[in-house]
Amino acid sequence: MPARAFVGVVLSLIVAFTAGCGGGDEGGGSRTINWYVFSEPGGAYDAAVATCNKQAKGAYKIKYVRLPTDANQQRELLVRRLAAEDSSIDVIGMDVIWTAEFAQAKWIKPWTGANERAATEGKLKGPLRSVEYKDQIWAIPFTSNTQLLWYRKDKVKTPPKTWDQMIDQAVKLKTSIEVQGRQYEGLTVWVNSLIASAGGQIVDEDGNVKVDGTTKQAAEVIKRLADEAPPPGLTTNAEDEARLGFESGRSAFQINYPFIYPSAAEVKDPKDFQKKIGWARWPGVKEGTPSRPPLGGINLGVSAYSEKPDLAFRAARCLAQPKNQIVATEKGGLPPTTESLYDDKAIKKVYPFGDLIAESLEDAAPRPINPAYSDISLAIQKTFHPETDIDPDGIQSKLENRLDKAADGKIF
Amino acid sequence: MEATTATKQDQPQPKVTDRKKAERKLAYMLCAPAVTLMILVTGFPIAYAFYLSLQRYDLRFPDDKEFVGLSNYVDVLTSQTWWSDVAVTLFITVVSVSIELVLGMLIALVMHRAIFGRGPVRAATLIPYGIVTVVAAFTWKYAFDPTSGFVTSLPLVPDDYAPLSDQPGSLLIIILAEVWKTTPFMALLLLAGLALVPDELHEAAKVDGASAVQRFFRITIPLMKPAILVAVLFRTLDAFRLFDSAFIIQPGGANGTETVSILGYNVLINRVNQGLGSAISILIFIAVILIAVFFVKALGTSTAQQRGEEPA
Amino acid sequence: MSGSSNTGPDRVKWSIAIAVVLLYALIPVAWMISLSLKPADKLSDKAFYSGIDFANYEAIFKNDDFIKALINSLGIAAISTLISIVVAAMAAYALARLDFAGKAVILSGALAVAMFPPISIVGSLFDIWRSVGLFDTWAGLIIPYLTFTLPLAIYTMSAFFREIPWELEQAAQVDGATPFQAFRKVIVPLAAPGVFTTAILVFIFAWNDFLFANTLTSTNNARTVPAALAFFTGNSSQFEQPIGAVSAAAVVVTVPIVIMVLIFQRRIVAGLTAGAVKG
Repeated sequence: MPARAFVGVVLSLIVAFTAGCGGGDEGGGSRTINWYVFSEPGGAYDAAVATCNKQAKGAYKIKYVRLPTDANQQRELLVRRLAAEDSSIDVIGMDVIWTAEFAQAKWIKPWTGANERAATEGKLKGPLRSVEYKDQIWAIPFTSNTQLLWYRKDKVKTPPKTWDQMIDQAVKLKTSIEVQGRQYEGLTVWVNSLIASAGGQIVDEDGNVKVDGTTKQAAEVIKRLADEAPPPGLTTNAEDEARLGFESGRSAFQINYPFIYPSAAEVKDPKDFQKKIGWARWPGVKEGTPSRPPLGGINLGVSAYSEKPDLAFRAARCLAQPKNQIVATEKGGLPPTTESLYDDKAIKKVYPFGDLIAESLEDAAPRPINPAYSDISLAIQKTFHPETDIDPDGIQSKLENRLDKAADGKIF
Repeated sequence: MEATTATKQDQPQPKVTDRKKAERKLAYMLCAPAVTLMILVTGFPIAYAFYLSLQRYDLRFPDDKEFVGLSNYVDVLTSQTWWSDVAVTLFITVVSVSIELVLGMLIALVMHRAIFGRGPVRAATLIPYGIVTVVAAFTWKYAFDPTSGFVTSLPLVPDDYAPLSDQPGSLLIIILAEVWKTTPFMALLLLAGLALVPDELHEAAKVDGASAVQRFFRITIPLMKPAILVAVLFRTLDAFRLFDSAFIIQPGGANGTETVSILGYNVLINRVNQGLGSAISILIFIAVILIAVFFVKALGTSTAQQRGEEPA
Repeated sequence: MSGSSNTGPDRVKWSIAIAVVLLYALIPVAWMISLSLKPADKLSDKAFYSGIDFANYEAIFKNDDFIKALINSLGIAAISTLISIVVAAMAAYALARLDFAGKAVILSGALAVAMFPPISIVGSLFDIWRSVGLFDTWAGLIIPYLTFTLPLAIYTMSAFFREIPWELEQAAQVDGATPFQAFRKVIVPLAAPGVFTTAILVFIFAWNDFLFANTLTSTNNARTVPAALAFFTGNSSQFEQPIGAVSAAAVVVTVPIVIMVLIFQRRIVAGLTAGAVKG
């Protein structure tokens, strides 16, 4: 075999490929700060970027790199880049559930000194909890999110306080309850808040599995809903299917984020649909014990591989400033993380239920703060899905078993 | 069935050794880039995957990387998840390939024997082939969506029919999407096989009083066996590595639709557990080899005298 | 045509058969088009026709991610096709025409690659790509596409090449041309139709791929349309499901391929079956 020719061809091919079309560099100028965050459809993040770039007066220029809207997909894409020690990421729009994972893997820098003060000052308790890990602050809370119980005022007289009451009412009204039952992060959100509302915990910060009898209580609620008041497609519905189901009139109850409110204004049939919607706190599991509503949102972290961390911290602080939070509420329907903003006129106008949101965020239950969170979440999803097949009696040991395997990096 | 051996005989073999040498050199030079690329991008990564599969290696805990021997394999092979995923994958494979074979044969017969309309039929069957798998998967998913899909508005279908809510329905739709997309390929391969069945045999059998059905099973099928086996082999391997449509129709392998490829993806890409995920990759690779060997043997016995090197 | 009778009942029977085949192939396509044109407030009416609204198309052509993905798809598929065809044509020529040891090895090797499960290497490719800087680049996708289209391209083209009247080449060689000159001057023009057919098949493969596009990219730097579709974003809220936009994007990526397939249907059929028939 003509070895030389062979090697020559191989080398030239490789060179041609890597040189010719390998241009993956998007660092741009040395003052460019790349902000990786989900693609916010309302333009709120674009506005925040514009504001900060103006305020920076050339000190830095933020570039908005869009990620998908699904948290799981965002994470997949980011993890791939961070594991590759990619220096093109400077600021990361982190879902509240990633803090421990990213901190443990040393993918993000801790916030200290003045940065730490800026990150924590005046923030609501729930969002604040989501940036803490191992006694350090790892990000600045930007936008938050939580779910409320939405109901049809024309059909429901008094909003239920607990899930059982809600299911009773739904059965009586021959209607259904819109929830997020697909096997995805939204199911973990539901399960986690149910368990927390029942007084339990899934995994503690050190990774110890803390599953107890509250798992069964949560399972009973879910199973009962699946048996007695399920909407069509319960096990495949996510937030948007729930919204559509509620808007179609098939359900008088809906558990969902506030984005459904502006959307309701667009509904043409029935007329004045938005005015027919009432809201209440996320239902509890035990009567008399306040619920622990879900906690979502985006925190801004600084990548450990950023080549200009100082600018990145400045940019992140700027992005998360109250002014931008207000814009995020107005344009994107995303609740602020700064407590005082709930008294702001602009917020009150968009959010007639602003106080309820603030209250919910104050009591919100974060999902497990753990570096193996994505595994834990998957274990929860697999255990509680499909909802129709849940066996509340066996669920505790099933969940424990899966969580143990997840913690050991095994297959489950 | 004649080409390979025939071409060789047709060519006058060059006598001069220098010339032969030059020819060989040219041949190697011409083949080198293709061979290199194929080896480089399959051989090396699979070897590397094997190496990774022997490590504990989670990208989130890079400091914990260590050699663990075969323990990842033990973990996978003793897990219920792996075997139920294998069962799901095999189920989808067997059902969809069987349906494709029958449907493909029917379409091939329509095309082969059509009195008219052959052109439109061929055009229509080629449309699914040209459509991106992900697009086809979205289409079927949306079609069966209980809030916006047209299927629930059909007569006889309950209004709240939500097949994606359970395992049988989900598998049905994944299979449907798969069958719809790939039957044309099957039909074309079978049509090519049909063309090889000489009409005289049919005429002779007709004279002997054999019915159309008898002729089909006694003459057409046996003569087409190699073509059928080749088509089934390729479709089986394709279906076994099913990923695209399952990924779209039931993200994350929900509702008992996790195929082995989806499992591999979840572990490798979502859990970024390279060690465990690579063990799954290698096991899928071995499974594919087993299937291929099985078919190649079957092909070998059915066409002992022919060389089975051609399918593409 | 092997149909011997042309009587009434037969015509009816065939018409039904043909109609069934047409419906089978076209209903999903019609549904996708229908969804893409549906006005947003009619999305849940479950009807095939509920007015025509191009809002979804306007939206996706204003969507930066989609435009970039479209450019990526076109560029990556085109470059892959070009390189794959050149590389495969060389090998196919050698296999169809030249006499050398190891032919069977190459052919069975190519066959093995055709059967190779891509999922088995995405993990390690991901690992390798991120350490050599090919992750999330065009080249990072083009290389695996080349590998996985080569078997198809080699088999299809060598099948076509065998049908070329080789006497012409021999005549050229007698006239003093080297084997390479004979290849370039005589065979290439004759082989063009086969090459073209193969190019279509290779292009469709690269255009269609989802697994590599999904795992080896992470931004619209190199993400192609199938992967972008899976990550599509709603227009009004983070949680909204972009059914209309996905459908419109799906139609946009489907229509050119379907038109191409329909124009070149004879060639594609020939290409797809070339191997099997001659085997």
